[in-house]
Amino acid sequence: MDRRGFLSRASSIAMGAGLVGGYGVFAAMAGRFLYPARPSLKGWLFVIDVASMKPGASLTYTAPDGATIAVARQGLTGQVGDFIALSSTCPHLGCKVHWEGQNQRFFCPCHNGAFDPSGKAIAGPPKEAGQSLGRYPLRIENGLLFIEVPLEGLPGQEEA
Amino acid sequence: MISPIAWLKERIPVDGDQLAELSNEPVPNHLKRWWFALGGTPAYLFVVQIVTGILLAFYYEPSPRTAYGSVKYITDTAAYGWYFRSVHKWGATLMIAAVILHQMRVFFTGAYRKPREINWMIGMCLLVCTLMAGFTGYSLVYEQLSYWGTTVGANIGGSVPLIGPFMREMMLGGEAYNERTLSRLFIVHAAILPTLMVGLIVVHIALIRLQGVTEFQFKDEDQTKPRHFPFFPDHLYTELSIGLVLMILLSALATILPATLGPRADPLSTPEVIKPEWFFYVSFRWLKLFSGTFAVLSTGFIAFTMFIWPFIDGWIRRKSKYQEASVAVGIVAVLVIIGLTVWEAAVAH
Repeated sequence: MDRRGFLSRASSIAMGAGLVGGYGVFAAMAGRFLYPARPSLKGWLFVIDVASMKPGASLTYTAPDGATIAVARQGLTGQVGDFIALSSTCPHLGCKVHWEGQNQRFFCPCHNGAFDPSGKAIAGPPKEAGQSLGRYPLRIENGLLFIEVPLEGLPGQEEA
Repeated sequence: MISPIAWLKERIPVDGDQLAELSNEPVPNHLKRWWFALGGTPAYLFVVQIVTGILLAFYYEPSPRTAYGSVKYITDTAAYGWYFRSVHKWGATLMIAAVILHQMRVFFTGAYRKPREINWMIGMCLLVCTLMAGFTGYSLVYEQLSYWGTTVGANIGGSVPLIGPFMREMMLGGEAYNERTLSRLFIVHAAILPTLMVGLIVVHIALIRLQGVTEFQFKDEDQTKPRHFPFFPDHLYTELSIGLVLMILLSALATILPATLGPRADPLSTPEVIKPEWFFYVSFRWLKLFSGTFAVLSTGFIAFTMFIWPFIDGWIRRKSKYQEASVAVGIVAVLVIIGLTVWEAAVAH
């Protein structure tokens, strides 16, 4: 290969490497930019005074992001084990379940999934897959019940 | 067994040689001088603006309640958000500068003369679109200066006799800046202007191809050598190199001088020192020198004169002995523009 041919080849390779390297890095950064930045912020929020909730009672708690959470008391000890907080999101495909009082079950209208009061699947696709309703962590402090939920969507957070 | 290439050729009946022939416009030798390749620079920067603009639009939310917060999110939280926002901002600055330099080159070399008058006018439309994109883009940030800049800009438009108030209402979506103003400015910035510009750029380049590039020959050139070189690969390599240099320049500017975020817009208090973006310094100073209506009307008159300049120049060249009067006019205009811009940049009020 003569000098001219070598220079021509070398400059073509340099150009190709510049294009691939330059725009490749740009594309990688763009991909990283579009990928959601971080897991959403979580925090402990007050639910209810433990004493004002009798065993067998339940309530619907609305998290800051708008999700409804069924909170029920099933025991008398006054410990955190008395309580469960069930996600209303069906583990099958993400529809919202609702409580059916007469059947004592949570029911998902999308594919007829059903769950018992503890969140265990008793019918439909979730039962076949052995899925239960998700649970939120709970904590009792000074007789007050707290729940850990996603904080995103808190009003006023953007101004802060 | 039919080969994949033959299969594809049967379905997309394009001949590679024909394609090469189509794209292989002979390029006049003077384009090897970089200042004649300035037209490709705004075109490349336009693509950069489209790409970074689409990326930013993933997170930007055009409403007074959310706009500032979403820009803050892009700048502070999203991965490399500061980089893409800064490249978008610097890309706009360089694009306006490149458009002006390109226009100056065309003007001073007389490349707008017959039969290229219409392409000059299309170029003027592209200049106006670029400036409007700069104005609407800056207003989207919803920081103090951009909010008051938009308000002042809308009221300048509103002071045009007869159609002014109508134009202002169309721009703001109401009599004053309101809840629905930002979504309007956003759609003008991100949909209407880019679409319009793509169309204008296609016609601009098509006319260049149809008429050929104006040819110059410099005295120091060898008269016996060929006067053209092939577009592919020679000129394509030039453009690719310019693209890479611009990308490095943009990245360096974005890193060293990243786009900042001032205080959030407060419709109840105007900042002490208020300035538009640098490319509007000229008209801002002009506005302070003359009364409102005269300043607006004279700006319109100057823009219109620029728009039809090829015909004015043709008339002067036919009727008088001053064949290069345009050069004198151009030098005066450039000096006035630079003078007013520097004046506005140097003083607070």
